Amino acid sequence: MLEIKNLNASINNKEILKGLNISIKPGELHAIMGPNGSGKSTLANILSGKEGYKISGELMYQGKNLNEISIDERAQKGIFLAFQYPTEIPGVNTSNFLRTSLNKVRKAQGKKELDALSFLKIVKEKSNELGMDEKMLSRQLNVGFSGGEKKKNEILQMKILDPNLVILDETDSGLDIDALKIVADGVNSSRNNEKSFLVITHYQRLLNFIKPDFVHVLSDGKIIKSGTKELAMELEKTGYKGIN
Amino acid sequence: MKNQNINYNQDYKYGFTTDIENIKAPKGLSEKTIKFISKVKKEPKWMLEWRLKAFNRLKVSKEPNWQKPKFPKIDYQDLYYYSAPKSMKDKPKSLDEVDPKLIETYNKLGIPLNEQKKLSGVAVDAVFDSVSVATTFKDELTKKGIIFCPISEAIQKHPDLVKKYLGSVIPISDHYFATLNSAVFTDGSFVYIPPNTRCPMELSTYFRINASETGQFERTLIIADKGSYVSYLEGCTAPMRDENQLHAANVELIALDDAEIKYSTVQNWYPGDKNGVGGIYNFVTKRGACRGKNSKISWTQVETGSAITWKYPSCILQGDNSIGEFYSIAITNNYQKADTGTKMIHLGKNTKSKIISKGISAGKADNTYRGLVDIGRKALNSRNYTQCDSLLMGNKCGAHTVPYIRNKNSSSTIEHEATTSKINEDQLFYCNQRGLNQEEAVSLIVNGFCKEVLQQLPMEFAVEAQKLVGISLEGSVG
Amino acid sequence: MLNFKINSSEIDKIGNFTKEEKNFRLKNLNYFNDNGFPNKKDEDWKFSDLKTIISKNFTKLDIQFAKSKKEKVDFIKDFEHNYIIITNGELSASDFRYEEKNKINLESFVNDNYSNEKENNPLINLNHALSNKGYYLEVKDNYKFKKILVIYYLFTEDLDENILNSKNKIRIGKNSELHLLEYLVNSSKQNFFNNVYEDVVLENSATLKNIYLQNNKSSGYFHKYSVNKLFTGSNYTSFIFPAGLKFNKLDLEFNLEGERSECNLQSASFIDNSEHQEIKTRVNHLSPNCKSHQKVKNVLNTEAKGVYQGKIFVKDVAQKTDAYQLSKAILLSESSEFNSKPELEIYADDVKCSHGSTSGNLDKDSIYYLMTRGLSQKESSKLLINGFLNEVVDSIKSNSIRNFIKTKLQTQLQNEHKKH
Repeated sequence: MLEIKNLNASINNKEILKGLNISIKPGELHAIMGPNGSGKSTLANILSGKEGYKISGELMYQGKNLNEISIDERAQKGIFLAFQYPTEIPGVNTSNFLRTSLNKVRKAQGKKELDALSFLKIVKEKSNELGMDEKMLSRQLNVGFSGGEKKKNEILQMKILDPNLVILDETDSGLDIDALKIVADGVNSSRNNEKSFLVITHYQRLLNFIKPDFVHVLSDGKIIKSGTKELAMELEKTGYKGIN
Repeated sequence: MKNQNINYNQDYKYGFTTDIENIKAPKGLSEKTIKFISKVKKEPKWMLEWRLKAFNRLKVSKEPNWQKPKFPKIDYQDLYYYSAPKSMKDKPKSLDEVDPKLIETYNKLGIPLNEQKKLSGVAVDAVFDSVSVATTFKDELTKKGIIFCPISEAIQKHPDLVKKYLGSVIPISDHYFATLNSAVFTDGSFVYIPPNTRCPMELSTYFRINASETGQFERTLIIADKGSYVSYLEGCTAPMRDENQLHAANVELIALDDAEIKYSTVQNWYPGDKNGVGGIYNFVTKRGACRGKNSKISWTQVETGSAITWKYPSCILQGDNSIGEFYSIAITNNYQKADTGTKMIHLGKNTKSKIISKGISAGKADNTYRGLVDIGRKALNSRNYTQCDSLLMGNKCGAHTVPYIRNKNSSSTIEHEATTSKINEDQLFYCNQRGLNQEEAVSLIVNGFCKEVLQQLPMEFAVEAQKLVGISLEGSVG
Repeated sequence: MLNFKINSSEIDKIGNFTKEEKNFRLKNLNYFNDNGFPNKKDEDWKFSDLKTIISKNFTKLDIQFAKSKKEKVDFIKDFEHNYIIITNGELSASDFRYEEKNKINLESFVNDNYSNEKENNPLINLNHALSNKGYYLEVKDNYKFKKILVIYYLFTEDLDENILNSKNKIRIGKNSELHLLEYLVNSSKQNFFNNVYEDVVLENSATLKNIYLQNNKSSGYFHKYSVNKLFTGSNYTSFIFPAGLKFNKLDLEFNLEGERSECNLQSASFIDNSEHQEIKTRVNHLSPNCKSHQKVKNVLNTEAKGVYQGKIFVKDVAQKTDAYQLSKAILLSESSEFNSKPELEIYADDVKCSHGSTSGNLDKDSIYYLMTRGLSQKESSKLLINGFLNEVVDSIKSNSIRNFIKTKLQTQLQNEHKKH
């Protein structure tokens, strides 16, 4: 699904990723853990295609090079990034936005665009699953949402867009335990043999609810250790300083 | 909240006069006066010609009248344009030759000039009415190639630099008071920092108006050559007199490639008494040109004195990636009036400017922020951020915000915010509850309100400025 | 340069006036002739140099204009409404079918206020000197309109380098309420100048909700000065949706005379192609406990120039004032320009007054977010622009009217987007 080889990235002449390698197969869930400033969010941004980075190395998604592909095209090809800080967009109605987005993705995949009614049906169903208040859908996109609501809205979008590769960037930060469970349930119920997940987190806590197949420790722009979920437990005990 | 007026005659601790014999120019503004000044200063011919050109211009220009504070007509013929202690006539070679009365004056102001006691880390040029009395740390600066001297001396010793830069930021054809200054300026400081030099200490000029019926017209010129850095400070006081005295200074800054100039002012001219009698008219033109790429000019001002303050330290951001900053605190009490702010003119690409202005008004005072942010069509990817906050104490005073904002290209961003409010009652209550009295609480809260600006001041002066903020508002909250 | 001095004989051509009225008109005509059209040297016109704009685009300005034949009105079908029809400034028809007729008074305007005060705006002088049409609408005390009142302002095809000077006055009686849609429909093909003077009074506890909508772009050059007096407990809400004209200046003054009076003003517009638009407001807080709220949004495209000058004045007695002002502009083109002068003049201390003004391009983070959801750059921009402007429309409470406005704006925007 995703193959990253020797990825280097810098912004404003500051090196952030220094030779990162990772390989994710369909159906796998990988967790990347690391201290603040280790380059976790940079990785998420680069995978989504955000501009402003100087990049070298190889980025392969479904066997194709991602380099020249724009942000929206990547999204249409099934890369989904759940933001650490979802952007507030005043004046844009959440439900209208979701429909526009879904139809863009569907169109790119050669599917029929959905009319307002059938779209509404899907949204209602998915938001009920996440225990979300439907009223949220008539509000402005992320505007005035609480931290938890914003994160739930990201997961809702993930469920609706049904992507192949999901990147969760610190989705657990700022969530109370109930919201965390809902988010985790949202992820778990979406897992299948074809979808891959890359879960970026600072704390081990989220991994109590979402069981990773592999855990990687990112430090100073490189993966310094990889293992299974036991590695996360170890990290919890020793802290990042204990790993070397 | 109750208002209590304070008696400035007791609180303005710099209000004393030095009894000293003066040499004065003939009263009034004329070619004769200008020739007199030029002659006393032993100026070369080109300088006199330059002054006369300004004087001719002055004859056809008019006093501006758009500013908010109105003032009675100034009789320009009833002023002395030059006044200097007699003892300064033959320039003293060293501090030992300087009239002890003058040294004592500066001691009283907290600016010791003699070698043993001089402020560490701060080189001072002391200007008394129309002449520079002494400049400290001269030798140490000379070693690094830094020129820090009275501008009258620079005109004689460094004519090339003066000719090249004087009037290049504030042309003689600028507004009335700037032109007046160009014609009759008496003294002030000259600074030149050579390429790739970081000035090892704060440079400071201390201005003192002593003589009566005298205007002070100083001129400051600071040039930071490529890759250099300088931090410059100016302080001002004057005796208490019940006449209004005019202070019309011009300050020009020039920053070349990669150079940085930090200019700080603590202005504490005599503000007049509690009935609004007397005080200084502080009509000052300050302008900096970020001429080189990556250059930076930062203005910080704490304005607590003067009957009327009227000045807009500005930045012309010509060089690509240049930065302009303006940090200001203006406090007005009793009948004081301040109309101050800045102009940020963005011409180069990727230029940035930041404006933080804090206005505090008490008594029957009027406080205006007036500013211009102009991002030109070619100044691509430029940014401005402006924050203007005003604090009002009582409903006999006024606070005004008059920003002019022009954005002429789509890649640039301007953000402007302004608020006006009174001192937060909850904060006052909290401080009172913790044992502070009303005045202490106000001083604390106002200092907090001004913090962003106070932080910009060099350490040596930040403490002094903080005290000044407290003192200026004493009695304004009862 | 055109000479726009106007001969005093023009006044006689308008009608027969009492000596008092004629003096008033003559005096104002002289004021205008002394100054001509305002230019950028006038502080209030710093960003809108009308003198140059007029000189460039007009060869003459005819004061006299033959009565037009009745224009066919394309009535709004989206909701039931009362209506007034104003053709080229003149009251031509009305229908209050949903209301109690004895509670309403509507007549052609007759000015009886020959104030000696000198107005500083030459266009007001010009209006005082030459205005000869308009309407007076009065809602008597204790009457709430049952349906919205739509005022159709029609501008006819035969306008050609004319200047229309009209005066309107609206009075809302005590405890009365009126919802108003001012709907401007323009069929003219040639340049003309429309100069309006408006006087609005809200008596104690009166409510006025007003939407000002320009249906289409045109070659009209518009100036409107509106003075609004709000007495105790009255409430004025105003939405302004200008379509973008070659020149369009709305100069609005609100005097919060009575305690607890409130005014709320919001505007959204998309301007393009050398259009020039200025909104100037002056809100005078003259009594305690009043509120004012302003939000002005502009999207500026090729060669478009947007101006916002807003002043909040708070008198010393007006304690507990709550005043807010926000202007936001999105610049889409290298050749667009936004100027603002948000001004505060405050003499009371127990107040909450603030303003903000921002201008710049679309937010990059928002575009990024939308693109990660599969929208192209262009679609993202479009969505953001619509959202930016819709925020204003969304605060209109009535569903049917909001949808009507939305549809109108969508059509305008779609036309704009198509062009680029």
